[in-house]
Amino acid sequence: MSTQATHAPAATGTGAPEPHARRWDGRGGGFLVKLALMALVNAVGVSVLWAAYAQGSWAIFAASLVLLVTADWVYVSRRALPLKYVLPGLAFLLVFQLFSMAYTGYVALTNYGTGHNATKEQAVDALLIQAERRVADSPSYPLTVVQRGDEVGFAIVDEGDVRVGSAEEPLADVPDASVDGRRVTAVPGWDVVPYTALISDTALQQRVVDLRVPVSDDADDGSIRTREGSTGQVYSSALVHDEAADTLTNTETGAVYRATDEGRFVSADGEALAVGWRVNVGLENFTRAFSDDTYSGPLLRITVWTFGFAIATVATSFLLGLVLALVFDDPRLRGRRVMRTLFILPYAFPAFLSALLWRGMLNANPDYGIVNQLFFLGTRIAWLDDPVLAKLAIIGVNLWLSFPYWFLVCTGALQSLPGDVMEAARIDGAGRWRTFRSITMPLLLVSTTPLLIASFAFNFNNFTLVYMLTGGGPRFTDTSATLGHTDILISMIYQLSGVAGGRADYGLASALSIVVFVIIGTISALAFRRTRRLEEVL
Amino acid sequence: MATTTTRPTTTDRPRVRRGRWFAEVGWKYPVAAVVIVYAAFPLVYVLSAAVARTGTLTGSTELFRTFSTANFEALNASRFWTWGVNSLVVGGATAIGSVLMGAAAAYAFSRFSFRGRRGGLTALLIIQMFPQMLAFVSIFLLLLALGDVVPALGLNSTVALICVYLGGALGTNTFLMYGFFNTVPRELDEAARIDGATHAQIYWTIILRLVTPILAVVGLLSFIATFGEFILARVILTSPERWTLAVGMYGWVSQELNANWGLFAAGAVVAALPVLLLFLALQKYIVGGLTAGSVKG
Amino acid sequence: MRKTAALPVAMVATVALLAACSGGGDTTSSAEPTSGDGAGAGTSLTVWVDENREPAVAAAAEAFEESTGVTVELVQKNFEDIRADFLAQVPTGEGPDITVGAHDWLGSLIVNGVVDSIDLADVEDDFEPVAVEAFTYDGQLYGLPYALESIALVRNTALAPDPAPATFDEMVAAGRAAGTKLPFVINTNGTTGDGYNYYPLQTSFGAPVFVQEEDGSYTNEIGMGGEAGHAFATWLGQNGMAGTGVFSTDWTDEIARQEFADGNAPFAITGPWAITGFEEAGVDFAVEPIPSAGGQTAAPFVGVQGFFLSAQSDNALLAQDFLVNYLSTPEAQRALHDADPRVPALLQVAEDVSSDPVVGGFVAQVKNGTPMPSIPEMADVWDHWNAAEAAIISGSADPVAAWDKMLADIQASIGG
Repeated sequence: MSTQATHAPAATGTGAPEPHARRWDGRGGGFLVKLALMALVNAVGVSVLWAAYAQGSWAIFAASLVLLVTADWVYVSRRALPLKYVLPGLAFLLVFQLFSMAYTGYVALTNYGTGHNATKEQAVDALLIQAERRVADSPSYPLTVVQRGDEVGFAIVDEGDVRVGSAEEPLADVPDASVDGRRVTAVPGWDVVPYTALISDTALQQRVVDLRVPVSDDADDGSIRTREGSTGQVYSSALVHDEAADTLTNTETGAVYRATDEGRFVSADGEALAVGWRVNVGLENFTRAFSDDTYSGPLLRITVWTFGFAIATVATSFLLGLVLALVFDDPRLRGRRVMRTLFILPYAFPAFLSALLWRGMLNANPDYGIVNQLFFLGTRIAWLDDPVLAKLAIIGVNLWLSFPYWFLVCTGALQSLPGDVMEAARIDGAGRWRTFRSITMPLLLVSTTPLLIASFAFNFNNFTLVYMLTGGGPRFTDTSATLGHTDILISMIYQLSGVAGGRADYGLASALSIVVFVIIGTISALAFRRTRRLEEVL
Repeated sequence: MATTTTRPTTTDRPRVRRGRWFAEVGWKYPVAAVVIVYAAFPLVYVLSAAVARTGTLTGSTELFRTFSTANFEALNASRFWTWGVNSLVVGGATAIGSVLMGAAAAYAFSRFSFRGRRGGLTALLIIQMFPQMLAFVSIFLLLLALGDVVPALGLNSTVALICVYLGGALGTNTFLMYGFFNTVPRELDEAARIDGATHAQIYWTIILRLVTPILAVVGLLSFIATFGEFILARVILTSPERWTLAVGMYGWVSQELNANWGLFAAGAVVAALPVLLLFLALQKYIVGGLTAGSVKG
Repeated sequence: MRKTAALPVAMVATVALLAACSGGGDTTSSAEPTSGDGAGAGTSLTVWVDENREPAVAAAAEAFEESTGVTVELVQKNFEDIRADFLAQVPTGEGPDITVGAHDWLGSLIVNGVVDSIDLADVEDDFEPVAVEAFTYDGQLYGLPYALESIALVRNTALAPDPAPATFDEMVAAGRAAGTKLPFVINTNGTTGDGYNYYPLQTSFGAPVFVQEEDGSYTNEIGMGGEAGHAFATWLGQNGMAGTGVFSTDWTDEIARQEFADGNAPFAITGPWAITGFEEAGVDFAVEPIPSAGGQTAAPFVGVQGFFLSAQSDNALLAQDFLVNYLSTPEAQRALHDADPRVPALLQVAEDVSSDPVVGGFVAQVKNGTPMPSIPEMADVWDHWNAAEAAIISGSADPVAAWDKMLADIQASIGG
């Protein structure tokens, strides 16, 4: 197989095209395979449609319908030739990757983040939970759940007396009820719900958890609730929810909190309740991204460093990988399979482990940091505590992490260079350096330039390395922002939006990442346009 | 092979030949040694931690002070091997899927001229640059919804994880392969087409064979990437029996103060082996073309 | 090239395959909704738990399953992922009913509305008050505690035979007298800095991170300013790398542990997580309260671990029952202690295990500690605080100026 690989280009070059030797019989077994695959796809597709229809998941129904119809059209029609090859990957890309992007775009328009984490209903639930307090020093009563038709009530044992009530009827004594220790066994007019029946009925459970039985006609006395179904305690709530007016009222202070467009309940004097909900805030996150002046100072420096870091990383690791690939692409070397395998060692270990390893090895104190001990004669060099050295360190570590990638890619690339051109050059007597410069390198760049751009983009967003190795430090001393000399834009976003610190503002983070994405995307698209010229070489 | 052809001539003028041998080939051995030291020496720490009794990773510059196989034995008591099998399944399936989908797309972009080709390529490139900061939330929500309809694509499903990985496969891998497909001369397909070959036959029987090295490289790269990915995997896979190695092993050290670096290091050493072995095995395809060519030359 | 026959053929095949598949599809959808008919069967509780604690919770879950018939599904997660996943998943309705967690998450769980309050009712008094206080937010209890942890002084009894020095200076003197490479080690987290480990020294100068109310709860008023804060900063600088060299930014947690385990330092400030390593290294050591540096009691942060209840649980009743009646029993709490030996939150268990000198040492230190603030503002403190301390220790900044800048920066990000 591999012999054919190198022979073929040479053969075409000499004008005796080998493929002619083969008879092509048009469609054959391949057609049947395709048919079977199509049938499978349709079967799966239709059953997904059916399931989505049954579940009422209309978004999924629509998406799978579009995908299925497209697939059928593409593979049946004669016109959609390129799509036949692109569609499988494209389908996965659309479903999984673009959904993430669309979701980020959606979040960027909301205030999703700490304090605005859920829906309004859930926020009200949470606020009511937090406002409902146990009445101080109130006792805990043995409690039994009772039912009368559709009505649920509680029967409690209060110093030997049984008292029964429901949401509408406050607790009242029921003298002729029977009690067995802590449990009420029978209440006239009510059916006792056994505990086993209660726990097997989720809907009833929910009603029991929500039920509040007033202790008396006076609402200030509080009401009985149960948390686990067998004891009851007296609680009173400081907040009352008025659904119609969309307000929460504090019964102690009388303050009325109204729902606002910002996704919070705010009182007349501007006080807001702790839990808010997600609302659409339009472009506010974007305007905030551009108007926060704490960050406008470091922003320029960080942008410059981000570019410097990404370019330096790609350049150094590509060069090292390329040189190694060239040097060890030599059949006269013995044991080169083992050598090559050992070269990719850094790639075979998890990157975060490597970053932590290097962090330890770069310790300033030569007693702890092996780099200073072995290579710098035991001098104290504060690699991670000096702005310039920290930058060098991070580029150096990233070189170590990524040269195996380029070594692999370049090794593969060198194999697919057309052998005839190389040979012709050799016969022409071109020197090694000239062959490399005017033939190998340009051909290699055709296949690797897109990868160089992709690698640039990857390192532009290389959060893991920065976070694990330096944490962005050493810190800037002339600003209040928690940023440092090795922070890149993506790690700045993490800091700025609190995602790293635990007080996340996902809305802002999303808006910022879209801004960064637009910047890096534009640059890459422009760079990519230039590669067309390279392509035309062929 | 190559040495056998040069040996007869070396007998003529040994010293000059040896000098030339060193200038052309010999110097590469010391260089290889240096590179291997550079590539391997940080990992000596990992090995040292793996065979040490103390659980620290970089606590000391004195390596290999204690020797014990306790950490490796402890791997057996954990779910390490289950996770390893999961990782191989997920990594293998993703690698194969990525190669198939990426190669097909690269073929289309390289061989057909159609409207939006350039735009499509650019879009593929740019989509990869999107910062996936919220992926952990969005993928969770997506699989939650999908799982209601197709249980196999819901949370805690290996198939779902593979699909998510395949969703990211097109961008990177198409790019890797696109360039290489361009280096295959178009005259080849045209000749075949004139002879009546369909585009599918050209793809499967001519192009794919010529780009075997890069298929192997892409397969290896996506295997490695999948093998080490834990951010999405830990959101999707909820039960420990389904975890991949990366998720499970990350758990051993995710709690900074309780980190079990010894166990982690032992696991990392073992987990690196399939990657290295795979590379060793795939080298035949990656570098195979060259050996054949040089014999001919 | 291709005949249009492809279309009909594909369609026929599709129908055939569909017929084969549709049967399977139906069974999966019909299996779901039928709920249990026996007691508690069909209902299930989902509990998130980390690897260490899983066996202990599993034991309690088994007892619960036996007496109620409810299935308890334990989902094992990495402890570090739990908070973010809980915040993200509870609002979707897919989150767990109960999760294991740490008390300092409470502030963010509260403002995000994902946590339900609990009522320990009659058993509340059986718990260590500091632990209950830690899970209390604005007067309401939100979690069932099971373990407390804090850092303490660990002394190598072979190198420093005399017990518990009263002041930090005496401790350093004793450390130097031992003639080891270092008198003392502490985790500075390298050049990042670590306010947590240095906190007991800071409180001994009377500079708590936030001002505390009478009942121990934190206000959002920064407490480490003023003279007490300056005194601490100055002292830190004097003992830093430009001064006496007692502290160093070269030390990480691993280095500090290793130096102590190797007998290169007779004293270390560290936590229970380091103990196993010291025992394995064969060091003889004692755990004692941290000596005071500034004259007042050195009070470390106390971290409390426990269980939270989801605000969106469909089985709140069962979840409360499981927490209050099954996980708070002495047996369950003892099992949790055995799974991860920290200071037990249940007094009875704490008493049982205090005879162990190591646990006893930490129990004594915990009594001196204050809960780590769980208010959301704490998230804004760490970065500035750690960095300022690192700069002061390394001698790269003037202590008082760096401290004041830190206070201003924290105030700015809290939004004063």
